[in-house]
Formats: sequence, structure tokens, C-alpha cells
Amino acid sequence: MDTIRLYLRSMAMLMKSQLQYPASFLMQTLAQLVMEGGELMAVILLIDRFDRLNQWMPGDLYFCFGLMSVSFYLTECFGRGITGNFPSMVRTGQLDTLLLRPRGVLTQVLCSAVDPRRIACIAVGTVSLVMGSRMAPVLWTPVKALLLAESVFCAFWLILGLFLIEAVLCIHSVRSVEVANALTYGGRSACQYPIDTYPRPLRVLFTVVAPFALVMHVPASHILGKPLFQWPLWTAFLAPLSGIALFGVMYLVFRRAMRFYRSAGS
Amino acid sequence: MRAYLSVFRLRRRLETQYRGAALGGIICQVFFGLILIALYRALYAGKPQALPFPHVATYVWLQQAFFRMLLASDADLMDKIRTGGIACDLCRPVNLYGFYYARILAQKLMGSLLRGVPMLVFAALLPEGWGIAPPASLPALLLSLAALALGLGCVSALENITMAFTMRTLDFRGMQAMLNLLMMVLSGNILPLTLFPDSWQPVITALPYAQLLDAPIRLYTGEYALSRAGGILLIQAAWTAALILLGLAMWHKNQRRMIIQGG
Repeated sequence: MDTIRLYLRSMAMLMKSQLQYPASFLMQTLAQLVMEGGELMAVILLIDRFDRLNQWMPGDLYFCFGLMSVSFYLTECFGRGITGNFPSMVRTGQLDTLLLRPRGVLTQVLCSAVDPRRIACIAVGTVSLVMGSRMAPVLWTPVKALLLAESVFCAFWLILGLFLIEAVLCIHSVRSVEVANALTYGGRSACQYPIDTYPRPLRVLFTVVAPFALVMHVPASHILGKPLFQWPLWTAFLAPLSGIALFGVMYLVFRRAMRFYRSAGS
Repeated sequence: MRAYLSVFRLRRRLETQYRGAALGGIICQVFFGLILIALYRALYAGKPQALPFPHVATYVWLQQAFFRMLLASDADLMDKIRTGGIACDLCRPVNLYGFYYARILAQKLMGSLLRGVPMLVFAALLPEGWGIAPPASLPALLLSLAALALGLGCVSALENITMAFTMRTLDFRGMQAMLNLLMMVLSGNILPLTLFPDSWQPVITALPYAQLLDAPIRLYTGEYALSRAGGILLIQAAWTAALILLGLAMWHKNQRRMIIQGG
């Protein structure tokens, strides 16, 4: 409980500091809006030319794009401490100060930053989700709403866990290792579209190694009424939990890596 | 002229220093290329298009290979503008625009060669329908190389225009992100311009962004017939000249009313 209060307190302070320069903040938020809007436009143009992707109709595709966009940018918004600050903390030795305080390192890193500009990207994703569920059309039931909420929640932890890979590599090598991000950003680009689009190696990668398909596409396909691989409904509730499991594993790896941390500061 | 050439040479040497980072970049870009081609293959399987598929795969690989040509900016210059260090550059006996044009040109050229050549070798080894197809003909290859050189000149001029905006507003992140997005979409990086709606083609291929990589790629795949090549190169040259002139004018105006930061 205490940790949560600490987290909320730091978020409030960070928000306040971000809003000190409203013009710059607005400009950057607008840039984010245009950026994600551009991604959505690419999907619209593709659908305009090809009409459909295997059995997926335009509504289904907008729904999948929106689901990915909302989950991914929620993570980038609240996980900013890991994605943005952590490498420079290691490089400058700033991480040492975190080791002295009576809280977990990861908690403090997450408390250290937030990126409210991403709200623009999340908004674009939400528009796409709503548009998709109207076009598909999805008949909403409490079960489906629950599935969607679970999927977004688990996807948040999945993506955060994947970003931890870079943090772990960074502890060992001091430099920030962008190659690790191929899995995160590659996963975002690939899994904007349903997993059965891809040949087997990519499908295995995004189901077993980075389970975007289990966390997003299995529940999404049930919401859209076209279950992937004909799996029964209970799997749609079970599969997303793999995202939380991945975060758990990465958390343990991170803890282990911190034991090898050698300060680079002076 | 010799001064600009030596700036170019120095910068070129600097850019070849970080080979480890380049290798990481190559792996990422190859991965992205494979994902995109898998997606377009699935779309093509559902509804084949007039444009043959190997052209699309070739388009994707060339875009990925020369990715660094589009997105590479001079971080030093940005720092100098913010900290006031640019005052030192103002004392140099060279034209400031030319100085930075030579730097960015070298950065983009070496950055994309270092990453592009190994990637294209890899893409050539992939099976047909996944990898890059050979050029339509030898003249097409030579013409596309010429077009690529012009595109490089054009993208460097665009970069300097972005920098001119930065000088004026100091906060470069918003403006730069927007101009970069415009570039990524309209140069065909996010989605090949050949897959944009047919009715848009006359407009988007005439824009300066299409001159960077789209025109060279279409010459390479033979989508632009050799007889049209002269006109294409002329459009590219015209845009490059116009953008350089515009950039020069903006830089001169900025220089007159520049406020140096720092102290």
C-alpha cells in the first residue's frame, strides 16, 4: 500500500513538472498524435487496396491495431523509467543512489519518470478500437468487456517485461543495447495484425518467446467471434496470463543482474 | 570548396567508427524487413495486384537498407544551438549552411552505406519472393544510382530546413518529430508509395519526399521506363536546388536575428 502511495505521489510531481512548459508540452503531444495517426493511416490505405487479410475483415484489423496501440503506449507512458531513463542511470552511475534507499530498485525506476505525451497515441488507439468494434460489429457482453480489460492489462506487463531485457543487458554492458528492442518494436509492428498472417518462424517467436499472440490475439479473436485455432473460450482467459508470467521471469532475471551491477560513476 | 570537402571527409571518418552500433541497426532493420514482407505476402495472397510482388519485396529491402539516409540528424548542431556553442561556428570563415550541409551529407552517406551494403547482400541471398530482385537492366541500375545521389542531396537539404526551424524555436522535439513523420510516410518507408491509392500517385510522386528513395527504387525495379528517366532526374535536381535555396534563405535570415543562448 505504502509503495502505491509513493508511486502516486511521484506521478503527481512528475506531471506537474512536465506541465511547466505548456506550449512545448502541447507541441510534443500533437507530434505524437500525428505520429500514431500516420501509422493508422498506413493501415487504412492497406485495407483500401487489399480489402481484407485472410479471414480478417477491416473492422477486425482496426480492432487489432487499436488493441496493440493502446497497450503499447500505456506501457511507454508508465514504463518510461525503464525504456528511457534506465540506460543513462547506469551509464552515469546515478543508479547508485537508488541502491541506498529503502525501496526496490525497480519501484524507484518506475517512479522516476512518466510520459504523459503518449496519451495522444493512446487516444488514436482507442479511436481505432471503437471504430473496429463498430465495423466488425462486436456485440458487447460483460464477458467480452472483461476479456478486453484483461488483455490490455496483461499486455502492459508483457511489454514492460520485454523492455526489461534491454535493462538487463544494459547492466552487464553499460551501453544501451538497442538490438534488444527489436523484439519490442518488432512485436508491435508485426502483431498489429493477427498472428496467422505470418509464416511459422515468426509465429513461434511471437507466441512462445514474446507471447503477443497469446496475450492479444487469442482474446481479441474471441471478442471478434472468430476464435484463433478454434480454441475454446476458457483459453482466452488463460492465455493472456503468459504476459504476467513473462514479466515475473524477467523480474527475477533483473534482480539477479543487479547483483552483478558495478557502478560506472565516479 | 576545399574547406567543405575536408569537413565532409572528417565527418565521414567519424561515422565509420561505430561499427558495433551499425551491426545492431542492421539486425533490427533486417527483422523489420522480414516482418513487412511477410505481411504484404499475406495481403497479396488474398487479392493479387497489378504490381508484381517481387517489386514490393525489392521496395521494402531498399527502403530498409537506406533507412539511415532518412533518419539521421546532427546531434552536435542541436546541442550547439541549445547551449550557445554555435557562436564559435559563426566565427569560422566559411558559410555556415555549407559547413553543416557537408557534415550532414557525409553522415547520411556513410551511415547508409555502412548499413545498406551488408543488408542488400543478405537480401540478395534470400529466396525469390522474399529477397531483393535484380535491377530491371544495367542502364536502370546506373540511372537509379544517379537518382540516389540526387536523393541524398535532397534529403540533406530537407534536414537543414528542419534545423532552421530548430534555431528559431529552440525546442526541436515537437517540430522535428512532425517533419520526420511526414518524411517517413511520404517517402514510402512506412508503406511503399506504390501501394498508396492509384489516384494519389501523380501528387505524391511529385512531392520532394518521393525524390529521396521512391524515385531511385522505381527506376531500379523498372516501374519508371528508361525513356522517362531524364524527366525524373530533372524533377529531383529541381527539388534539390529549390530546397537548398530555401534552406540558405532561412539560415541567413536566422543568422541575422539569432540570439545566442548560454553565458
